[in-house]
Amino acid sequence: MPVKKRRTVKKTVSFSDDNTFATKSSKKKHIDHDSPPVYVRKTISTIPAHLPALLFYYLYTTESYNTWKLLHLVIPLQVFYLVFQFNKAAVYGNKRLKINVTLVLLSLIAAFLLSLPTMLIIILFGAPSIQKLKETWLLSLHCCYLAYPVVYQVFNCDFKVGLWKRYFILIAVGAWSSCVVIPLDWDRDWQEWPIPIVVGAYLGAFFGYGFGSYI
Amino acid sequence: MDEHSIKKSLLSTSADEKRLYRTRILKFRKSHTLYVLLLASLAILQFIAIAFFTRGFLLTRQVLDNVAVKDTEYGKFDKAVVLVVDALRFDFVIPVNENDPKFNSYYHNNLDFLYNSFWDQKSGSSLLLKFIADPPTTTLQRLKGLTTGSLPTFIDAGSNFDGSVIEEDNVIKQLYEQGKKIFFVGDDTWDNLFAPFLAPESEPFESLNVWDLDTVDNGVMSYFEKHLLGCEKGQRKEWDLLIGHMLGVDHVGHKYGPNHFTMREKLLQVNNFVKEIVSALDDDTLLVIMGDHGMDHTGNHGGDSKDELESVLFMYANTPGLFGNKEDSTTAYDIANLGEKYRQVNQIDLVPSISLLLGSPIPFNSLGWPIDEISNTEKERNLYSFLTLNQLSQYRNESHMVIQPERNDVLQQLWDDAMEDPSSGIRYQVEFLEICKDLWTRFDFWSINTGIILLSISLILLLDITKLIPSIVVSQMVPEFVPWIVMMSLVSNACFHGIFYVFRQPAFLEDTLWCSLLATSVGITVGCCIPILDRYSVKWIFIRFLEDLSDYWSRIGAMLLTIHALLFTSNSFTIWEDKIVSFLLITLGMLTLYEFVFLPRRHSTTALLTATISEKQGIASGASKGTANSDSLPLTRFARLLGVYHSVVLIVCTRIASTITICREEQGEFCIPSFTNKTNYSWWCLGLCLVIVGLLPACIKGYYNLSLSYQAAAPIWVDIFLKGLLFTNFIYWSVTALENTVADWSWNATIFKFTLARIIAGFALIASNIGWMMGPLCVKLNVHNTDTKSHQATILGYGNAYGAQYFLLVINAFMCIFLFNKPLAQISLYLMVNQLLSIIEIIDLLKLKENIVGPFALGLLAYLQFFTTGHQATIPSVQWDVGFILSGKITFPLTHLAVILNTFGPHIIVALSVALLTLWKQQPDVLKPQTLLGRIVSNCGMLLVYNTVLCLSSFIWVAYFRRHLMVWKIFCPRYLFAAMSLIAIQIVVTFGTIAFASGRLIRQINDIFWK
Repeated sequence: MPVKKRRTVKKTVSFSDDNTFATKSSKKKHIDHDSPPVYVRKTISTIPAHLPALLFYYLYTTESYNTWKLLHLVIPLQVFYLVFQFNKAAVYGNKRLKINVTLVLLSLIAAFLLSLPTMLIIILFGAPSIQKLKETWLLSLHCCYLAYPVVYQVFNCDFKVGLWKRYFILIAVGAWSSCVVIPLDWDRDWQEWPIPIVVGAYLGAFFGYGFGSYI
Repeated sequence: MDEHSIKKSLLSTSADEKRLYRTRILKFRKSHTLYVLLLASLAILQFIAIAFFTRGFLLTRQVLDNVAVKDTEYGKFDKAVVLVVDALRFDFVIPVNENDPKFNSYYHNNLDFLYNSFWDQKSGSSLLLKFIADPPTTTLQRLKGLTTGSLPTFIDAGSNFDGSVIEEDNVIKQLYEQGKKIFFVGDDTWDNLFAPFLAPESEPFESLNVWDLDTVDNGVMSYFEKHLLGCEKGQRKEWDLLIGHMLGVDHVGHKYGPNHFTMREKLLQVNNFVKEIVSALDDDTLLVIMGDHGMDHTGNHGGDSKDELESVLFMYANTPGLFGNKEDSTTAYDIANLGEKYRQVNQIDLVPSISLLLGSPIPFNSLGWPIDEISNTEKERNLYSFLTLNQLSQYRNESHMVIQPERNDVLQQLWDDAMEDPSSGIRYQVEFLEICKDLWTRFDFWSINTGIILLSISLILLLDITKLIPSIVVSQMVPEFVPWIVMMSLVSNACFHGIFYVFRQPAFLEDTLWCSLLATSVGITVGCCIPILDRYSVKWIFIRFLEDLSDYWSRIGAMLLTIHALLFTSNSFTIWEDKIVSFLLITLGMLTLYEFVFLPRRHSTTALLTATISEKQGIASGASKGTANSDSLPLTRFARLLGVYHSVVLIVCTRIASTITICREEQGEFCIPSFTNKTNYSWWCLGLCLVIVGLLPACIKGYYNLSLSYQAAAPIWVDIFLKGLLFTNFIYWSVTALENTVADWSWNATIFKFTLARIIAGFALIASNIGWMMGPLCVKLNVHNTDTKSHQATILGYGNAYGAQYFLLVINAFMCIFLFNKPLAQISLYLMVNQLLSIIEIIDLLKLKENIVGPFALGLLAYLQFFTTGHQATIPSVQWDVGFILSGKITFPLTHLAVILNTFGPHIIVALSVALLTLWKQQPDVLKPQTLLGRIVSNCGMLLVYNTVLCLSSFIWVAYFRRHLMVWKIFCPRYLFAAMSLIAIQIVVTFGTIAFASGRLIRQINDIFWK
């Protein structure tokens, strides 16, 4: 290949990122985080007492860790929790919003639909892909309905507030860290997929709803 | 590309600048050499630590040279025929109901002669027993056990490749001393162990070529034909003991696994052969047929699972009624459930039994007890018990092994009982055996602790030198380190040797070699500490350590490492390490995905920090301020999209790769092996390999195009070399697959396969690396032809000049390692290329080039790929069969190279590509050569830290669990693997990455581009 020799070859560097418009777009992103007009009051009333109760029921009273039955119980209780506890602690600007009934129902459907991407993520993390698909889906339903009050709030403030992320994260962290018990060779019934993860998610959610506002 | 013309055009011509340039390169060369020496001495420190630990942990058994002498007359037979059928598992020889769920027509009910003969005692007397081997179930150890009657230790397992002549007293030696002629044919391990005792007519055969199923067996059969079958009955034979060792069944297991039609052929062949032997047997001859160990479901052996331990012992003589069978024969010889409750004897019990039957003294070190059935009267049994008891007590007295008084008392009591009633003698033997087992698993704590302390010191030094002290300062300190280390090593060697020579202290060192090793390690430690403590206080270093862990990503990295290191605290976690590692890597991918999607605020601080640093550097090196600072700007939308894409690639590739697994035996029903011979040689797997031939170069091209560096040398490397070699490799493995799957394959492809394999290996190992040394640039001058007046040209690929060129070297390594991996593992390696490049891109996008998370992610990747290329941290899962890709016999270094590249392939690749973390998308004129080298060393050091921590953790926990039930099965292989992978990474990092590649690359690029 012939190379043209010139005295002053100026080097220009090819950078695939265009810096100019990027600065603008990412600045915008940060505005909402800094002083959110929306926050959750630091009150004892947000503590979700029904979650430990459900866990107790799940682990000690049902014989075979009936995860389906637990799901039937958790959905109405979560709706109650949202309406009577969580929504009352959420402050928008300076006032509390009344509960929006259509949105409550809509969020129920949204949480159901969210269970599919959640299931995909769980499988990506290493859950058995085909053999125990039903159990995995059940687990993701649990995770999604645990996040249900926050899903409602996210809809309520048009996805703009980053505040709610921590609730999702805490549920995920709870589920993530409860994997620890799966490989242990204790041969217990509750090591069966997905029982430990369900428990972990509940603990994460309990911690998140109870103390999320303090973080 | 004409390098010199560019150089001329780019370099300033003034004499001053030339001189400046020359001194700079000279300085770089010098500091590069010193860096290599420094790292090499740290490597030596770690090797010494590993050596000390291994010395203390892997025990050796005390061997007594005494030889037993005969004083009583006994013995039933003058001659014996011994046939060892390697890897004959017990359920192969008993009838199995066809409706049994575990029934398999390939290996059940084919070798039925033994059981039939045992059941029908009329034609002669015979005996069929389950034969329990002591782990490790490798042939050399078993042969030692079968002839000396003693127990093996773990270290012997490693020497399966080169057995040396046995020194202990053994059956073969005893028979030889009695003037018996011993003819041998088969596995040449016997020849290595017993060469002086075997008759010159013996015919040993090469044993470790597992791909050859028939040579040894045909040799054994024709030899037996000549010396036994072909002779008239009653005719005088030349031999007194005829030993045959058949390998066919074992090799079928290694090559195809038991579940394969060739297994049936082999077993039927053995069956017919045994029939012929029995019909040709003289009356004064004893026939012993046995397996030395079993095989697991994959056909391999070496561990201590039930399938590997259970083998067969069969004895036959023409005269009926010689063996007194147990009275309750239906319960004792119960074949239900694959013979689960069938009567079993230990392998070491064979030694006294054979000695007593043949009338030779029981070998001195034997710990076995004669098999009940060999005696048919009470009197005979008592005689045998008496003889064995005498031998055992002689051994006990001579060896002075039992020191604890309470155990001595127990033994004495049992001895007294046995003297009164010889039938209770077996209780004495069992107790004595237990005591011996206990004693031989005693550890040398001085050495173990020395090893752990030295490794901890090396870890602290590595952390200090490569991370805590700023790399700029280290490059100034390097000229001090090396002389101090050399001097201190000499001084401490002198001191230690002096003390050791005069006072014999420290006593645990035993000889001068270990003394100088310890002295050298102390010297290196002191030599490193002097320059460090000269400038920094311990407090400063500690604070610096905490500071380094203060940002988010460092903490993530530290968390990954901590979790990985804590896996060794429990056997269950160690068993499931493969899944956990992939879980951790996916977690990392998810975290980066989250980062790119939501872009949390933590960036601003890091970016600010980098900005101030690179601003100065940019000005110093002459680059424009904008270019130098470009990596401190926030992520663009495009970059975020790219980051999301790379994170998804990382996650998905990891998930797909993690489905490839060769299960550990302990994982049991929870794991279905996908890495089997059947899947490896299936049409879909080879089809995928063919797809990879095209897809892998395309993927690499994609990554190169991101930085426009698919120029000049890159297309040659990726599109011609890589594609060509992958295709040749595909042909090689297709031929292998056809050989394995087509039943009536007649074409002998050996020569063809060797030619292909050697072409690939020669090219990938030698030719392509020499090519790389020539300095293949991946840049191109782009001159706009339409604009003739403008004096501007663009250098395409300039932004990634370092990285693109360096990755060509990684491609060389990949080409080579592809050949030594089976088809399914090649798919995994294809995924590894994508994971590797995605990780590097992510690290670059997040500006984490100097963060510990990068090297740690690569360390995780290496482990993941170790597991997904069909390995586990166990001895049976080593893929010995790839050792014969380059040569038919065991030839140094070809066989060893193949096995090493197969086992440590992912580690080697990662150790090479850790420099890419610094070099990828690094522009030539921003950083000074020394700075660049310092950063590479820092990243390499972090990879070493990752592996050192794992190794240290496995050291500590294997020592802690030394009495654990699973120590030899789980913890010890894992510690051996951790130590060996640390050694492999040390060598590649020090000599490959830093000494060879980085130095050359930095010099060359700076030659061309530095203004």
